[in-house]
Amino acid sequence: MVHPLTALPADPVRDADLIGESRTDPEAFAVLFDRYSSMLYRYVSRRLGPEVAEDLVGETFLIAFARRDRYDAAYHDARPWLFGIVTKLVSRHRRTEAARYRALLRSPADDVVDSPDDRVAAGVTARSTRPALARALAALPARDRDVLLLFAWGDLSYEEVARALDIPVGTVRSRLNRARKKVRAALGDTNPMHEEE
Amino acid sequence: MDDLKLLRDLGRELEHEPPASLAHQRGRLFAPSTRTRSARAGSRRTRNWTMLALAAGLTAAVVTVPTVLLSGSGTGRPGGPLVGAGVEAPTGPLNVLLVGSDTRAGNNRKYGRHMAGDGARSDTLVLVHLAADRRSAQAVSIPRDSMVRIPECRASDGRKFPAHIGMINSAYMNGGLACTRRTIETLTGVTVDYAMAIDFSGFKDMIDALGGVEITVPKAVDDPKAKLRVPAGRQVLDGEQALGYARARYGLGDGSDLMRIKRQQVLMRAIIKKAADLPADPVRLPAFLKAVQASVKTDDGLGLEEMVALARGLAGMKPSDTRFVTVPWTPYPQDPNRLVWKQPEADQLFKRIASDSK
Repeated sequence: MVHPLTALPADPVRDADLIGESRTDPEAFAVLFDRYSSMLYRYVSRRLGPEVAEDLVGETFLIAFARRDRYDAAYHDARPWLFGIVTKLVSRHRRTEAARYRALLRSPADDVVDSPDDRVAAGVTARSTRPALARALAALPARDRDVLLLFAWGDLSYEEVARALDIPVGTVRSRLNRARKKVRAALGDTNPMHEEE
Repeated sequence: MDDLKLLRDLGRELEHEPPASLAHQRGRLFAPSTRTRSARAGSRRTRNWTMLALAAGLTAAVVTVPTVLLSGSGTGRPGGPLVGAGVEAPTGPLNVLLVGSDTRAGNNRKYGRHMAGDGARSDTLVLVHLAADRRSAQAVSIPRDSMVRIPECRASDGRKFPAHIGMINSAYMNGGLACTRRTIETLTGVTVDYAMAIDFSGFKDMIDALGGVEITVPKAVDDPKAKLRVPAGRQVLDGEQALGYARARYGLGDGSDLMRIKRQQVLMRAIIKKAADLPADPVRLPAFLKAVQASVKTDDGLGLEEMVALARGLAGMKPSDTRFVTVPWTPYPQDPNRLVWKQPEADQLFKRIASDSK
């Protein structure tokens, strides 16, 4: 299983150390940008589309840069921190996000691009369930959707999601359960007998 | 049924690859002024330079296009056009709106993955004013993130977008060239005679059709983000490389946008120089015309014939007769990542153009 959003840095210098260095040598922060900007762009492009993704990623790093003095060096991996900032910025575009999911309800499945052969079968399933998924995503309360998507699309662990959103792990668990239950319920409704009405 | 797996599949479908221009966002961190209080203004300036430079290239291309078409008659003299006989040459002052768009479709795909339903973005907006005597031109760059009042526009699918305050480039996304034109006319009071859009891949094709452009590269360049790799020295860049050269920021000079503007001016001169030889080339001329026809879109039937006619008056103009300016701006109070036109300076600029257009 490929996780395109997970880009583990090959560079041995830890994120936390880079952030520490950047306090005296701001250029060190550029490494962080090079490590994670593409990953964050992909994540945002999923939720909001490509039009706003570029600016939003730039903004994320500007904010992170301004707050680098407050970074807790105990956390080596900066991804949850960055995803936390991204999530806040994404929430300013709630209408864009809702429109994006709604568009999936209308559009036929022919915009699926370059599906590799071994994924075609899975693709068919994914496409037929797409409207139901989109509807479920659009209907989720924002805080549940944030948790679900950080987990499913951002590939963060429970602990990392908790850190990103600054909430207890228990809360992450309960929000994730609630969100997944709703998604599963929506998927259950894709019984072909009821689809065309 | 695994809900997470389906959700991840959906995520992959929705995902877009980061464009090369994402690297520009990195520059926002390290604009020289980032460490001082005017960090935002610095990043703004950075992008204006980029745009101005791109606009320069674009304007060069579009001013060159009709000129080449015209002298393509074979006589090399105005008045004997290759096509367009019988079309009246526009006289008097002229205002042409150029939209550099990034459709990321077709040939543009490698600069950013395309998905159905994406609106094209206008990355570059330039209002070109040609004086009545055709001895000078002014190219006013309009920053794409200008917050302006966009009038009611209708999209191609019939949907209506009500008038609203928004980023000026959303006019193109929502209502295409016609909406952009109306927005500009409403804002500036300048009547736009022609509006044309050209996309990035078109720019590339035109340069390829010219057989590349000759440029002296002072230092070897290796910038994977702009997909650019060229050795140092005097050489011919193809369209892809030239486009990369025009957009690249890293691995070149000191990485500043001033450097980039210089590069783009060099590129612009190279294009115009190369285009001057084109009419005599029976092989390249048709390819060039084809690239132009394929990539330049106009909103009201400004076809090749009209462009040729337009070119009649431009034939004597040199690239140095075009002045490049940017609309005066200040940061948008509600969001420092946007800007608003600075008044009264912006109004004065457009008033001068409007009154010269009468």
